[in-house]
Amino acid sequence: MTETLIKSKNPNRVTSHAGISSLIVFSVLLMCWIAGFASRLFAVIRFESIIHEFDPWFNYRATAYMVQHGFYKFLNWFDERAWYPLGRIVGGTVYPGLMITSGGIHWLLHLLHIPVHIRDICVFLAPIFSGLTAISTYLLTKELWNTGAGLFAASFIAIVPGYISRSVAGSYDNEGIAIFALQFTYYLWVKSVKTGSIFWAASAALSYFYMVSAWGGYVFIINLIPLHVFVLLIMNRYSHRLFTSYTTFYILGLICSMQIPFVGFQPIRTSEHMAASGVFALLVAVGALKHLQTVLTKQEFKRLFIFGGLAAAAVVFLTVVGLTMAGVIAPWSGRFYSLWDTGYAKIHIPIIASVSEHQPTTWFSFFFDLHILVCTFPVGLWYAIKKINDERVFVVLYAISAVYFAGVMVRLMLTLTPVVCILAGVGFSGLLEVFLKEDQQPVNKEETENEEPTEKKLYDKAGKIKPRKHDSNKSENKGLGSNVKSMVVIAIMMILMMFAVHCTWVTSNAYSSPSIVLAFYNQGDGTRNILDDFREAYYWLSQNTNDDARVMSWWDYGYQIAGMANRTTLVDNNTWNNSHIALVGKAMSSPEEKAYEIMTSLDVDYVLVIFGGVIGYSGDDINKFLWMVRIAEGEHPKDIRESDFFTERGEFRVDNEGAPALLNCLMYKLSYYRFGDLKLDYRGPAGYDRTRNAVIGNKDFDLTYLEEAYTSEHWLVRIYRVKKPHEFNRPALKTDERVVSASEYITKKTSKRRKGVIKNRPTVIKGKRTATKEKTN
Amino acid sequence: MKLLYSLVLAVTAFLVLTGDADGQKRQSGGSTLGDKVQQLVDWNAKKPILRFNGHKFKEYVKSAPRNYSVIVMFTALQPARQCVICRPASDEYTILANSYRYSSSYTNRLFFAMVDFDEGSDVFQSLRLNTAPVFMHFPAKGKAKSGDTMDIQRVGISAEAIAKWVQERTDIQIRIFRPPNYSGTVAVIMLVAFVGGFLYLKRNNLEFLQNKQLWGLLAVLFTFAMVSGQMWNHIRSPPFVHKAQNGGISYFHGSSQGQLVFETYIVMVLNGLVVVGMILLTESGSQSDMRKGKLMAIVGLVFVVVFFSLLLSAFRAKAHGYPYSFLFK
Repeated sequence: MTETLIKSKNPNRVTSHAGISSLIVFSVLLMCWIAGFASRLFAVIRFESIIHEFDPWFNYRATAYMVQHGFYKFLNWFDERAWYPLGRIVGGTVYPGLMITSGGIHWLLHLLHIPVHIRDICVFLAPIFSGLTAISTYLLTKELWNTGAGLFAASFIAIVPGYISRSVAGSYDNEGIAIFALQFTYYLWVKSVKTGSIFWAASAALSYFYMVSAWGGYVFIINLIPLHVFVLLIMNRYSHRLFTSYTTFYILGLICSMQIPFVGFQPIRTSEHMAASGVFALLVAVGALKHLQTVLTKQEFKRLFIFGGLAAAAVVFLTVVGLTMAGVIAPWSGRFYSLWDTGYAKIHIPIIASVSEHQPTTWFSFFFDLHILVCTFPVGLWYAIKKINDERVFVVLYAISAVYFAGVMVRLMLTLTPVVCILAGVGFSGLLEVFLKEDQQPVNKEETENEEPTEKKLYDKAGKIKPRKHDSNKSENKGLGSNVKSMVVIAIMMILMMFAVHCTWVTSNAYSSPSIVLAFYNQGDGTRNILDDFREAYYWLSQNTNDDARVMSWWDYGYQIAGMANRTTLVDNNTWNNSHIALVGKAMSSPEEKAYEIMTSLDVDYVLVIFGGVIGYSGDDINKFLWMVRIAEGEHPKDIRESDFFTERGEFRVDNEGAPALLNCLMYKLSYYRFGDLKLDYRGPAGYDRTRNAVIGNKDFDLTYLEEAYTSEHWLVRIYRVKKPHEFNRPALKTDERVVSASEYITKKTSKRRKGVIKNRPTVIKGKRTATKEKTN
Repeated sequence: MKLLYSLVLAVTAFLVLTGDADGQKRQSGGSTLGDKVQQLVDWNAKKPILRFNGHKFKEYVKSAPRNYSVIVMFTALQPARQCVICRPASDEYTILANSYRYSSSYTNRLFFAMVDFDEGSDVFQSLRLNTAPVFMHFPAKGKAKSGDTMDIQRVGISAEAIAKWVQERTDIQIRIFRPPNYSGTVAVIMLVAFVGGFLYLKRNNLEFLQNKQLWGLLAVLFTFAMVSGQMWNHIRSPPFVHKAQNGGISYFHGSSQGQLVFETYIVMVLNGLVVVGMILLTESGSQSDMRKGKLMAIVGLVFVVVFFSLLLSAFRAKAHGYPYSFLFK
């Protein structure tokens, strides 16, 4: 990058100048792409080419469905395997851009006879798109500032953790491609404002269409661009270029965005989109007035302006208010509303508040995700305001709104990251332009810099940082000026190097875990152990249960069960139906017999819980349990009370001081069934929970309505079968009173079935398939 | 609502009038249940919260014939008692009592009362209360259980929390109706009026609006506030500083999950100084006086390097196991 700057300033060879600088731009961007791609591969190298986490599993499943059945089948897909018994209209409730993108790549590669499995395309889609993001960031920054800043911005965004967090290989999610679409739309918008050409505005609208099809965050664009126009109007920067580009963009973008089934008529009916149409009306009004100004005399115009303007504003305002009151325009949805009224979600929507991505952001996470950029991007902001023009107004507004949203919600750090990279690029390139310029006029500077007696002292001060430089300063009197410069350059380079190292460290340690395969390192020899319990259990489900078996679990695992085990789930990560989730939460937090009623009413065959007490995995269901209770309480306040699950001192504990409601609820029993007999340590007590560091309070209990079907190797996933009514309603006979009919005994004699052994007792061997597959019913 | 209210008044007036003679007789020797309820309803018609002193507390809450529950707030509202939390707690409690008093679920089964320490210190002694405020529920039948004292530490003192607790204890659901808070709207209108008036007065001299330095400063300050986690402070309201385990004061939260208010101020200042350093460095190139430019360059460099290293070490202290540092450990 520094080379670029040096060389682009070199005035000697005019002819080869353009060639060399474009070669450098090209190679830097290529390297950004490669570096960005490579640093996203930690998970693939450590584990395997696998889809990560939760939501990506649904996206993968939907993509696979689309590739298999075709696009139109996909649009009409009714998924009866989710939200049992309601089902889900997938085609109308997803943003299909992601599936279409990877499906399109798959189709193209197969057209060229390159047989690539769709899973590999899904895994590597986000890293590939990170390169495209870097290029569009470069283009945007170049439009806003200059080539040097653009290259800086591109190399920042290629490796910055705030963006990597959503785009590592395997995290096959909307955000991975949406950030590219976001940046590219902004680039085209800025270009169209600069040129005022319909071509660029239409391209921006098309790119916006792609963004709408890819991610719900398109609302950010459709509010930011009108805001830009509005502020430009206030600043008296109206121009025909602005008029052309916004009207073209708005109308085309509106029509295009309504083609996405999931978006539908929202752009003309919800409050989130009203700003755009309001600004459209305003811009047309301003355009009309500007035209009238040229036609009318001053006196006439003044009268028209006052009366006409006021009347028009009143009419528009009343129309919007009236339509909102009449219910034609929907008010702000909860998720967006919680961005403004920051206390809203916590009180009213526990399901939004329960997601850790929706928490506010600490300074630590800002620094963690952006490192040096977080304290240098205000420099870029400062200069963008100082040297303001039409398109820099845009980047200023982008920065300020994005930084506000990122402060409210950790998740929106993603929209902040690109603008931080742009502005930090502006800051750094401005700085280095000053300090790398000396090659041009070295003579002048040395002359002026030589005679300074006070300089010594100051050099000492700086010399503390770089002692070696300081020595060389003393020895040669002539090159003081260049020494200051090289010192600054070296310091900046070191800081940038630290940034690169930080990014790699963060990517490797924080953002590269697939979270369905866990790894831990032994304390002693540092060897790596892999915990593959999730896939083990899901595979068991897919092999040992009926094809139409219905599995109840907390919503976090819905997509994984559907994607990996291919079984019907009750609730999943698409949390569209709060009362259904509350019903599952109620079942989990009720005692067994009450839960059984709910489970039979929902036709549940299996219950799956995640239990981390054996290995000390903290993200298990007991730790999430309070959210289940809260969500259940929101819908069923009569039956479930959060305070029942706390001790009298208000603690949530699982040992024998725990609240009785907790110790007897279904979730507790399913998590700790048979755990009281398990000794993890030779010295420690039996039933010691490593996650919560306590001996469990309720050890000896049996399950009446459920039976253990499968427990994975490290007990991470436990699956229970819900018994049918006739299985537990039989009269309870003691073991010695039971008579096994002789004939049956003889015919079915195996090594396992000997007289005196209960037939249906589940024999669970850790890590193996159980022998209880053949069901009695 | 009005109708109900006047109905209650009429009925009570009638009852008081007719029952007066009987009541007079029994006044000396302890009152019957009907009288007590009547008296409470009477008082409640005037005030949503009944104010008890020691004597009344014994008679209406402690003594035997009772078919109503009472929620009592024990508090110390006198300024001399220096109870900081009592005033807001009392306000929330009043909101709750008002919501109950004028709601359709109002019955004579539940009353809200309060005892001030300065009016009934004997009650505090007999219940062995050392702190205020305390919310207690006295059920209609049986003795008070452990859950009948509300855990302020855990649920807080908001009216919603108290209502939830009341619902748990008495099965009476109270919908909190807060008197709409116009202070925010008024403040916004005042601000707009102020700014508008200011602009109008200075309408002949509006260049300052085009002062880029001013706008730049505002924008940069806003970003500092956001990236130093002021929004987190606003939502989570953490303490200003912590008391450290060794007795001193710790200015930094130990884990990466939380932060203290003072800590965010430090971070804000450090961020700001790094930015100032960067701007000095950049500006040093465009100075005509080379000496001044050099000075700026060196000061800027020191600012950037030193304050960034400080920021990094603050980060390192919070991220356990973070391997990199610059200048300072």
